[in-house]
Amino acid sequence: MPAETKLDISEFHWMMDMLQTIDVGLVVLNEKYEVDIWNSFMENHSGLEPGYVKGKVLFDMFPEVPREWFCHKIDSVFQLHSRAFTTWEQRPYVFKFKNYRTITGTAEFMYQNITIIPLLSLSGEVDHVCILVYDVTDAATNKAQLEHANKKLEVLSQTDRLTQLYNRGHWEDCLTKEFQRCQRSRLTSSLIMFDIDHFKKVNDTYGHQAGDEVIRVTSKILRDTLRQTDIAGRYGGEEFGVILVDTNAQDAYTFAERLREAIQSITVKYEALEINYTISIGIAEIAAGIQDHTTWLERSDIALYHCKRNGRNCSTVFRPGMEAEGH
Amino acid sequence: MSDQVVELNDDLRDVYQEVTNVAMGQAADRLARLLDVFVVLPIPNVNILEASELQMALQAASDNESVSAVCQGFIGKGVAGEALLIFNDSSFNDIAKLMKYRGEIDDAVQLELEMDIASILIGAFLNGLAEQLDMSFSQGHPVVLGQHCDIKDLITANAARWKKVLTLEINYTIQDHNINCDLLLLFSDDSIDRLNEIASYLLE
Repeated sequence: MPAETKLDISEFHWMMDMLQTIDVGLVVLNEKYEVDIWNSFMENHSGLEPGYVKGKVLFDMFPEVPREWFCHKIDSVFQLHSRAFTTWEQRPYVFKFKNYRTITGTAEFMYQNITIIPLLSLSGEVDHVCILVYDVTDAATNKAQLEHANKKLEVLSQTDRLTQLYNRGHWEDCLTKEFQRCQRSRLTSSLIMFDIDHFKKVNDTYGHQAGDEVIRVTSKILRDTLRQTDIAGRYGGEEFGVILVDTNAQDAYTFAERLREAIQSITVKYEALEINYTISIGIAEIAAGIQDHTTWLERSDIALYHCKRNGRNCSTVFRPGMEAEGH
Repeated sequence: MSDQVVELNDDLRDVYQEVTNVAMGQAADRLARLLDVFVVLPIPNVNILEASELQMALQAASDNESVSAVCQGFIGKGVAGEALLIFNDSSFNDIAKLMKYRGEIDDAVQLELEMDIASILIGAFLNGLAEQLDMSFSQGHPVVLGQHCDIKDLITANAARWKKVLTLEINYTIQDHNINCDLLLLFSDDSIDRLNEIASYLLE
């Protein structure tokens, strides 16, 4: 053997040392899934010593490792002589190890990426595979936090601060989507637009703070009245919109009356003030002649103004011809 | 350097075509033995694509909700590339059968299957490629595209860095099964020269 290819014993020693200390799990398995090599990463995280695990079947020591699934992967490495991978996104961990940072870490366990590589014997056969276990806890938790933050931002960008209802932009998006859905499915949904009667007077008489409280109470009652699928938003200052999914005008009227009566019967208390107020409601269901969501919105508005002209504190369903009235 | 025109002459194209053929054949052979099926061998496509063309192709894949993709980076001897495997979602029932998965195919199982098939096809193909070019590749962990990110964002973020890509495209189908997937090996312009150099040894 030429001198340069001969592995010096001391060289071999520090190479082994390197493999032992590297902060990546190294496990060598034979074709019967029995452990041959088990480095310190594996020893320290599992609490099982190499002397104990050597010659034992991996799955007997780690019942939490899904046997069939993992065998399938290992077998493919033996057969194909190519690497196999698992990622934390697919399965958070294979070996249930504790998070390195047990106190300040946010994850309970170690997220792992795993690579299984074929090991060639001197005869060129693959009779062993090596399992590499990477700790990717930080990457995984960062990603999860980022996603969480993005979701929160999304909610914030869609929510009206004062009322906690959808803001106008998002609500209009919902309205467009609902309109398109009805066009496709040929189902009927109804749209309710309502506003607070003489709201300007409330503001002028009691102040804006009191006005805000009236809006807050209104949206609270609205939220309590809503059914699961209804979509409510604050359309303008004192104007609100509700999309009643799969609801015809008649049922929408019942809903509107319930809301109107609830608001009529409530007294808003703000500091020493007691404020009673009412709302007017316009209703339009999706019907022939409505080409887009703006027309739908217009029809509810027309019905709403019909209420205003007829003494307020009532609910009105849009009828064709209503546009011309009162002009 | 960036203004340099990346070209593929006919000789090199033939080399890539041949190398791809052999690698694909080896991959198919191993896949066939592992899954006990007959893999239909297509004719691979070797092309130099403009970044915009690739963008369009990926865009089409991302617009189509019934398509999913896994990508995996690899690097060796100064050649960096990315393997992209594009699945048709209608294939998953058959893939599950082949991979001997039982039960409902929910999103998690679909992810598993994608990763498995990707590991097998990409790994086997890269082995074949590396063997012929007398090199070896390090492989990163596979990533499912569009799962935690929008494909559109990926493309726009990277588009400035490369202008042309060498693509080796292989369409795998499996006989008697409704399985159809597209394997794309992509090499960006800064790797093409190096790869051409390595491949040109095969011409001698």
